[in-house]
Amino acid sequence: MDEKEIIKLFAYMITSARGCVDEPKIYGPFRLVDSISKLYGILEKNNLIGNEEVSKIIEKIEDKKYSCMTDEKEFVTMLDNVIDDFVALLNFNKK
Amino acid sequence: MGDSILDVIKKRRSIRKYKKENVSKNILLQLIEAAIWAPSGSNVQPWYFIIVDDANTIEQVYVFSPGLLGKPPSVILICSDRKKAFETAGTLGRDELCVMDISMAAQNIMLLAEEIGLSTCPVKSFNKRAISTILNLPDYVSADLIISVGYSDEMTSTPKRRSVKEVTFFNTWGAEFNG
Repeated sequence: MDEKEIIKLFAYMITSARGCVDEPKIYGPFRLVDSISKLYGILEKNNLIGNEEVSKIIEKIEDKKYSCMTDEKEFVTMLDNVIDDFVALLNFNKK
Repeated sequence: MGDSILDVIKKRRSIRKYKKENVSKNILLQLIEAAIWAPSGSNVQPWYFIIVDDANTIEQVYVFSPGLLGKPPSVILICSDRKKAFETAGTLGRDELCVMDISMAAQNIMLLAEEIGLSTCPVKSFNKRAISTILNLPDYVSADLIISVGYSDEMTSTPKRRSVKEVTFFNTWGAEFNG
């Protein structure tokens, strides 16, 4: 794996952190989600992740992540759904 | 007959997913030609435009610009010469008019881009310090706005707009417009 890809991600995340001090509140959740997308992209490119369920979750995120700028409710619903997916994926669901 | 200006204004969308197809230097320069015809306070024309179409430099800008989404093949950084603005128009010019001037130039860029089949997105979420260093800006020049430029690879919907009636008064604040 090219170490520089990870360093770029760190730079992106720290830049996001600085930006979030001044930017609209909703940008914070978006940057976190976008960081997941970028990290997943690096892992996938380097064959370090291959879980089909995770891939589906990432697709859900990609599909709706930009809605934070046009429809905050839709964005939050996506986050809630994805959290449910992760709970199920990790077998933490006791119901 | 082509679209009217109002048609072009209404068609423009902020695009966050681009095709890999490059935009020619000639077209990018046409966008700058549109920009320099924007009005400016005291006719200072405080703007400078850095066209970034080199893949390596775009990648560097991208890393420090969280708002720059969808990997556009080119970006235009609009800068303002705050020293020049101050010398001509004082603190009003430096602190307020500059922002308006580059915004009007940016709109010219985005509308011409839309008219000729390109897509854009104005981006303010970038780290000014990092971008100024990467692009070697002098200290009196402010990195104000990035515009991504490329060919859209995204289906867009029509965004909600507050109506003319809701945002318009005639003659005094609050006087309802019954048009």
